[in-house]
Amino acid sequence: MRIGIDLGSRKAKFALFRDNKIVRLADYDTITFYKRFGSLDGDDLSLDLHGSGLFGSEELSLAEVMVTGYGRNTLSLKGAHIVSEVRAHVAGAIFQTGLKNFTMLDMGGQDTKVALVKEGRLEDFVMNDKCAASSGRYLENMAAVLEVGLEELSSHWEEPVKLDATCGIFGESELIGQILRGHSTAALCAGVNQTLVKRVLPMLRRFPSKTIVLVGGVALNGALARLLELETGLPLVVPDHPQHNGAIGCATLKSRDRDK
Amino acid sequence: MHRVGFTTTIPLEVLIAAGRQPVDLNNIFITGGSSCRLVEEAELAGFPRNVCGWIKGIYAAIRESGLSEVVAVTEGDCSYTKALMEVLSLEGIRIVPFAYPHDRDAGSVRFEIEKLMRHFDVGWEEVNRAKERLDGIRRKIREIDRLTWQENLATGWENHYFQVSATDMNGDPDCFEAEVDRFLKDAAGRNPFQERIRLAYIGVPPIFPDIYSFLETLGARVVFNETQRQFAMPYDTSDMVEQYRSYTYPYDIFHRLADIIPETGRRKADAVIHYVQSFCFRQIEDMIIRKKLPLPILTLEGDKPGPLDERTKIRLEGFVEMLEDRDQREESSIQ
Repeated sequence: MRIGIDLGSRKAKFALFRDNKIVRLADYDTITFYKRFGSLDGDDLSLDLHGSGLFGSEELSLAEVMVTGYGRNTLSLKGAHIVSEVRAHVAGAIFQTGLKNFTMLDMGGQDTKVALVKEGRLEDFVMNDKCAASSGRYLENMAAVLEVGLEELSSHWEEPVKLDATCGIFGESELIGQILRGHSTAALCAGVNQTLVKRVLPMLRRFPSKTIVLVGGVALNGALARLLELETGLPLVVPDHPQHNGAIGCATLKSRDRDK
Repeated sequence: MHRVGFTTTIPLEVLIAAGRQPVDLNNIFITGGSSCRLVEEAELAGFPRNVCGWIKGIYAAIRESGLSEVVAVTEGDCSYTKALMEVLSLEGIRIVPFAYPHDRDAGSVRFEIEKLMRHFDVGWEEVNRAKERLDGIRRKIREIDRLTWQENLATGWENHYFQVSATDMNGDPDCFEAEVDRFLKDAAGRNPFQERIRLAYIGVPPIFPDIYSFLETLGARVVFNETQRQFAMPYDTSDMVEQYRSYTYPYDIFHRLADIIPETGRRKADAVIHYVQSFCFRQIEDMIIRKKLPLPILTLEGDKPGPLDERTKIRLEGFVEMLEDRDQREESSIQ
């Protein structure tokens, strides 16, 4: 039995595996989860997985725990093996899609990663740096400005309004300007989705392959997936559980010598 | 002794011959212990946030150190230096311009060196004597570099530190040479390092020096510091003009690659870390480096000084893990 944990900037994601199959997936708001179940034990982060109610005591006593994500460098998680985010996500994408050759695009709360996978191995990767304007958090902010839910935002891709502020915060006032010009909510939503696609295209261009696997919470945005397909001209595969991809990957990986 | 600052490596021989105390402004900015505050002070003075951290650090370091004369490299570094020079001259600092000619023309290099000599009122005889003195120390630093990659006796940071300090010999050649001697004696008694991953570090020196020790905790050691090695004048020539023509840093990327490619091969580097400073034009050259260097490359961007941030650590870990996987694959395919 294995438990994979992905401590993201917005959500903590969990995957329980038995015999290399998913038994259960769960997630928690990261801040709430840390506040309620996190504590410091010396320099180590201790997560009260028993108290969280996510896993039964038998599961916790039997399972090997593997963790990745944002929290991993700040603190080492007591009693858990640690893997890098790239490795976890690549493993998750391979497990979920069964593919061996693809370009993985992981779009999370703050991070965007693009990884080239050949014959089931990570060949190269690139991550966004110094700016998180192409991230899930940006979509959340823009949905709030437009007063729509993420579901509504994720359903529009046609006739996008052009938005080009460099900064995700200035982007809000740019969007307000476009609202005043009378554009439809649908076209504004599509515009927001389009800005994300434009941001990640140069990263995708670096690692060309025949298939793109889109993972991370942003992959739940169907309109973005559609726009990505249109812009790249490549088939896009979104696995069943894109948001839990890192946790799933963790649960499928073997620990290494240097892991804590 | 009259102290003279400079914005990047210049013919140090001229300052030594003139009896001036050389101050590499980059070194006092980054090693001063308050580098982050210096950047903030420059921003308070009006430097934009989206300008290279080194320029801001150099500006504040000059203000704080009370230096009244600075040699500014106006060609062969970046255009930020030109504007920095203008701001400093407005504030009463005496600016001495020095230019590396883009085409590495020997006549132009000689002209620039001689112009600098005239300014400091020294002749070739004194300058060549100074060169002999400095070359003695440089040879010892070259030995530290050799110990790093060939004998595996020096860390990436030690390799970085001694080479980068060669730009101004820490302001005191005799004292610095004694430090080099002590290190060489100490390193001889060490057991060789046995990291699985050997890395080449290319680009300007890192604004977060703990990158070396962090990589070593991951089992990867830097065995080549491209620019730092250049700062230490690795070419054994008695001709000063030739020395500053061979020096790669101020010239084009292809001249740099002609050094990087054979050195990464000779040192058996498994992969390359290309460090780029935020807002630096050299970020564009990453495209060319990726096309020309036949090794895995991680491009790392740094902005403000300080310890490595979490996001950079995530990148480095992911990169080292990827290299380890390749390593194991190659081993298993051999077996």
